[in-house]
Amino acid sequence: MASNHLTGVGSESKQLATWYFTFAAILFGAQLLFGLVAAIQYVMPGFLFEIVDFSVARMIHINALVVWMVFAMFGAVYWLLPDETGIETVGIKIGKLLFWVFAGAIVVVVLVYLLVQVGPATESSIWLIHEGREYIEAPRWADFGIVVVALGFVFNLFATGMKGKQTGIVTVLMADMLAFAGLYLTGMFFTDNISVDQFWWWWVIHLWVEATWEVYVGAIAAYGLITMIGAHRKVVEMWLWIEVAMLFGSGILGLGHHYFWIGTPEYWWEIGALFSALEPLPLVAMFIHVLYDWGKTQGAEEAKGNPASVINNKPAFTWFVLNAFGNFLGAGIWGFFHTLPQVNLYTHGTQFTSAHGHLAFFGAYATILIGMMYMAVQGTNGIKVMKSTKSTIAATWMIAGGVMGMGIALTIAGYVQVMVSRAQMGATWAGYFDGQSGMWFAQAMDWRLFMGAVTMLGFVFLAKDLLSIGKATHHER
Amino acid sequence: MLAPINESVMIAEIALDDFLPIFISSSLVLVFGAVYAIVFTFVKVGAFKPWVMPFGYLGWVLTAYCLYLMGSLMHVGEFTQKALIVTMIGYLFLPHAIYYMIDRVHEENEHEVVSDNS
Amino acid sequence: MAKRSVWSDNRFWQRSAAWVTGFASILLIWLTFDTSAQISMGTDADLQNGVTKRVPAPTVINYKITYEMDTVRGHEVPVIGEKEMFFGRDDWSEEEAAELLHLGKLGSQSKNCMNCHTLLGNGAYYAPDLTKAWLDPAWGPEGSLQSMTGKSSKEEAMAEFLQHPSQYPTHARMMPDLGITAEEAQGLVAFLKHMSSIDTNGFPRNFGKIKGAVHGK
Repeated sequence: MASNHLTGVGSESKQLATWYFTFAAILFGAQLLFGLVAAIQYVMPGFLFEIVDFSVARMIHINALVVWMVFAMFGAVYWLLPDETGIETVGIKIGKLLFWVFAGAIVVVVLVYLLVQVGPATESSIWLIHEGREYIEAPRWADFGIVVVALGFVFNLFATGMKGKQTGIVTVLMADMLAFAGLYLTGMFFTDNISVDQFWWWWVIHLWVEATWEVYVGAIAAYGLITMIGAHRKVVEMWLWIEVAMLFGSGILGLGHHYFWIGTPEYWWEIGALFSALEPLPLVAMFIHVLYDWGKTQGAEEAKGNPASVINNKPAFTWFVLNAFGNFLGAGIWGFFHTLPQVNLYTHGTQFTSAHGHLAFFGAYATILIGMMYMAVQGTNGIKVMKSTKSTIAATWMIAGGVMGMGIALTIAGYVQVMVSRAQMGATWAGYFDGQSGMWFAQAMDWRLFMGAVTMLGFVFLAKDLLSIGKATHHER
Repeated sequence: MLAPINESVMIAEIALDDFLPIFISSSLVLVFGAVYAIVFTFVKVGAFKPWVMPFGYLGWVLTAYCLYLMGSLMHVGEFTQKALIVTMIGYLFLPHAIYYMIDRVHEENEHEVVSDNS
Repeated sequence: MAKRSVWSDNRFWQRSAAWVTGFASILLIWLTFDTSAQISMGTDADLQNGVTKRVPAPTVINYKITYEMDTVRGHEVPVIGEKEMFFGRDDWSEEEAAELLHLGKLGSQSKNCMNCHTLLGNGAYYAPDLTKAWLDPAWGPEGSLQSMTGKSSKEEAMAEFLQHPSQYPTHARMMPDLGITAEEAQGLVAFLKHMSSIDTNGFPRNFGKIKGAVHGK
């Protein structure tokens, strides 16, 4: 089944995709490494003090996160474009050039973060060192670079989509990636008014991760279901449109849940509450859809007297299923339980947010992008049915288990913080440290560090597996 | 510096002992919600036996109860109260609607030549 | 071919998705206009005439700010009171105050405050929330942080701490030396004072309810 999609060899677009995936994987490693540094600092505050401070480690931790995901997202699109459109990607030379521009810029930005760290309170610090705005710290010069790179990418996507066969998946990706690139512009200005600053900052962060990125995941999942288990394209694509309606319908105005306490008017309480309550619904629906299609396709094959599994890429499919589950768990459950304003008043800005961030970024995005990397390995090695190795299994368990463990530990820490610092002490300096010194909080941080180390070890297995699984002999070729 | 707090005019405060039930019940809202949707779908496609179905609806009842518990402990306002009730009723029909749609598409596409994926 | 119902029609769902997205986007843009007007910075004249703005003018640094229960809204709001000295002056002009706030906001970004602290509740969770830091009893006349620095006013104590944070450890987790100059520290304190005057709909709840005492009510 679906073997006509495995045309990795000979497609320049797919070759470029593997470059993007490789660099993404390296940055993923960097993300985990600096996350580990920050986690150690919670347990041993003197660790690398005034050498690589928490602020620096965390900045690299979250920036590497965003950038590796963007790289892998671009890579996944370059990977699937030839399959979907039936032609070689238009403007592949520009794509390759932009890859090097992007990768080079990232290296420079990270080196400046590490070696310069902070600058004087001047405009030039914002332009040259970093902007000091969580997640989008990249200095202004790099902002412009990112815009150029994103525009080049969107151009290639549009040109290819319009020249070749424009499937539903490609159409969704075209609209979605245009919005994704455009939204970045709303985060590229400086203002003295911190409320206005954060208002627009959330346009980038929220409308990325809770709207455009989610739709992107829907499109990739649709592609995965068609290529990996041979799901019916018409059904999958119709479902994709329903998902787009549900995700944008709830996600765009779900932005309101970030506008409870930043100086914005009170009507955002109602808007935020209503649309946040709706946000889990598409996630439930996506989860059910994957299981439904899997069951249906397998059932149809078995009815034809073919009991073999319909899955032609075990490792990738495992990560896709983890995605459906993790999206619901991390973004859905962990998002919902602190989203209503009545309770968010106490949980806003505590480790709860951190727990949600870890589980949601991993569950909703890291999983499916790792799955795409495995699909690229399958394609470039011309494997018909790819099976897991011992390393695949070790990596999957350790990474998924490690992140889950961190999420639970951080949830416990957040609970202590809510009870002590927020509900009782009213969020003062003294109240804050009172919460941090509690035994439960301290132990939660120990466990978070341990689970972080497990995740890191899992990453080592993952890297090894991605590099070697293609050469394994137990696949069907 | 800080004025004395007149407790009687404040928006109802969440009691210290209520935080844990709130967090747990709001998580369970989604867990039971998923149970309802999964059981419903699986019974319909034949993966589960029909007698499991009542457990699906039990899941919906528990979802509604957890949401009620969460809402009352949080002291949500009137608007949110109404929104939550509408959401719950809507959620009762959602899996039916989704299943109906997916099923129609499958049926209507069954007789077509599948050209793009086999 | 079997007869198609509207529910399984790809075009129908494609159009629905477009309509839903378009409708939500237009609603968001409309709300953005309304919110932008409400959170734009007030003017010095507003302050003199007692006009309440969600985000007051930078000259708010000339006034005393308190955090008081609003009986109508049912939560605390910042209240701007009589004149108050800020670094020995209560006559910071509009230009001077704006310049100071500008310096402070730039400093808050270039020193990367947000990757340890939370501002308006957003940021990292490694250090205390700074939303209402200016109102923290610990920096007040009887507060432990003010006496620690040996300064006689809140703003001077904060500025001193910002310049030499590792000299004044308050916890095993210390603030690193970020090379903050005296001038930058003044700007940062102005930024913090201004931020505390922003109407955050009652966040953080019960701020300083226990007057900063570590134990007991």
